[in-house]
Amino acid sequence: MTDAILSIRNALKTYGETNALDHVDLDVAEGEFLTLLGPSGSGKTTLLTAVAGFTQLTAGTVSMRGANITSLPPEKRGFGMVFQGYALFPTMTVGQNVGFPLKVRGVGKAEIRDRVKECLDLVQMAAFADRMPSQLSGGQQQRVALARALSFRPQVLLLDEPLSALDKKLRADLQWELKALHEKLGVTFIYVTHDQEEALSMSDRIVILSGGKIQQAGDPETLYNRPRTGFVANFLGKSNFADAKVLAHLPGAAACDLGGAAVEIDSPAPPPVGTTARVALRPERIVLGAAGGPGVPGRVAQISYLGERAQLIVETDTLGPLLVSRPTWKAGIHPERDLPVTLTWDRDACVFLEEA
Amino acid sequence: MSAPKTAPETVPGGPASAFRIAMGTGGWLVAAFLALPILVVIPVSLTDTSYIGLPKDGLSLQHYESYFTSARWLGGTAASILVGLAVALISTVLGAAFSIGCWFLGNRAATIARWVLIVPILVPPVVQSLGFYRFWVTLGLIDTWTGVILAHTLLALPYVSISVFAALANLDPKLPQAARSLGASVWRTVWEVVVPAARPGMITGAVFAFIVSFDEIVSVLFITVRRVETLPKLIWEGIQDNIDPTIAVVATVLVLVTLVLAGAVAVRRT
Ligand SMILES: Nc1ncnc2c1ncn2[C@@H]1O[C@H](COP(=O)(O)OP(=O)(O)OP(=O)(O)O)[C@@H](O)[C@H]1O
Ligand SMILES: [Mg+2]
Repeated sequence: MTDAILSIRNALKTYGETNALDHVDLDVAEGEFLTLLGPSGSGKTTLLTAVAGFTQLTAGTVSMRGANITSLPPEKRGFGMVFQGYALFPTMTVGQNVGFPLKVRGVGKAEIRDRVKECLDLVQMAAFADRMPSQLSGGQQQRVALARALSFRPQVLLLDEPLSALDKKLRADLQWELKALHEKLGVTFIYVTHDQEEALSMSDRIVILSGGKIQQAGDPETLYNRPRTGFVANFLGKSNFADAKVLAHLPGAAACDLGGAAVEIDSPAPPPVGTTARVALRPERIVLGAAGGPGVPGRVAQISYLGERAQLIVETDTLGPLLVSRPTWKAGIHPERDLPVTLTWDRDACVFLEEA
Repeated sequence: MSAPKTAPETVPGGPASAFRIAMGTGGWLVAAFLALPILVVIPVSLTDTSYIGLPKDGLSLQHYESYFTSARWLGGTAASILVGLAVALISTVLGAAFSIGCWFLGNRAATIARWVLIVPILVPPVVQSLGFYRFWVTLGLIDTWTGVILAHTLLALPYVSISVFAALANLDPKLPQAARSLGASVWRTVWEVVVPAARPGMITGAVFAFIVSFDEIVSVLFITVRRVETLPKLIWEGIQDNIDPTIAVVATVLVLVTLVLAGAVAVRRT
């Protein structure tokens, strides 16, 4: 990437025996909304704090626009940071909190006042400038923390699970606001979350971490539709897995044996002929048909109704239990327990996975 | 009857019940039990006799006069106040620095260091004073103001650090990171973020340190001879040499000053 604002090369961080970061390479493009997503302990915070300068890497480099900043202390990096617990200064008013980074930089009083007002306006908190942080609700504190991290106009904003302490409704509102703010300011956002929906809805690009390694990076659609490993396929949404034996290569596809049935699976670069590869199949790509038609026969074993969708477990002879997700408004057969059905899917629904 | 009617519901804390009355009475009895032995010095200080006792034929201010004209008593009082202020200042600076440092580290070593600093509270004062005596002889600090201030500072440090620790206990450990990510150096972070949060604990600690020093006598008896005299030491010697009612005057003055200070603090709090 030529327009990378941040480059992380071969980053390694070990704590005793564990590798919190295991040879991570990552480029962050100017102005993008990049999300680090992964389960607890996958190294998201470690990677973010390594960028911020709070974690000293065991090996590897962090550079900004080509300049190596690996050993630069955090206060010299000039990245805004928003913490999970807000970390507002309890002895300062909201206004003083937001003005703090400016005061530290020696900005004049009058200009601080204007910039504080401007930043508080940005997060709709201008009316609260004279309150103490302890007099604010969680969502309001989060807004102030955001204003404070933006008041010195950083080029990069680092956010470590900023919304995880808020309730669901408020979280959804703030997601929209954050996204709008990102578009308005053009600042590069690096956002840590373990909430996959949050990641999918907000990001330009998602980096999936597990065990300190990058599993896959890409835009939300690519990650969701073309997961490279079983981990990614199951971490972003849910997936069914099956083993497919590759029988022959076709243009842009492969002819396979999937549990005894001959199927064609779309793939730009399918595994070699004769090998067996794991494939992932999204529950919502499986179409439920009446028994007796062409496809994989099975029997409905369980149904759970989720409002707009219903989730079914269909027991098949050849592929074992398969998870099926189906819009409840869909006409056609009405699934009920023990109903015999036939399952079909499009040829681009299955995705070959790498070994993992 | 024109007395204003006070409805029980408007009494802060709810209606008067038998429980409340019993607790209230009990509370006042305990307060009286604690306060009366202290307050008895007031009539004694006004005695017209030349020995310690209750007034015989009338009240007299003669002992107040002798206190306020005695260079020795006034000197001792001033000395104790100055030593106390010095101790409050030094131990607050050191104790706060120690506690803030431990808070920053937040690791096992810091926890151990905290305990080590607090342990002296558990050591009997006589044992500690013996230690001071041995050391001060070696250091040539016997019968010096420096020696007394140093000893009192060591005695006051645990109290200061405990109260600063208490003030920092609920402070978000991410604050230093936040401050630094916003561009503040480590020192600026300490000065503008952590010290203000520790300030209430430092004030409490300074008051404690002053009190610890002001009424400390055991170590003073061990490490001073003739040159250095503090108020508690003068009182102690006054009791031993003669039974001079001036002591009751000193006690009365101290009680009144304490009441005024406590009142001022209480008013400020509410
Ligand atoms: N200071 C530390 N000392 C020892 N081990 C640490 C330290 N910080 C992190 N680790 C370890 O490094 C690994 C990655 O931790 P990290 O905090 O980056 O995870 P995370 O992805 O942010 O998880 P979470 O979602 O729970 O915040 C974990 O196994 C963790 O136990
Ligand atoms: Mg984390």
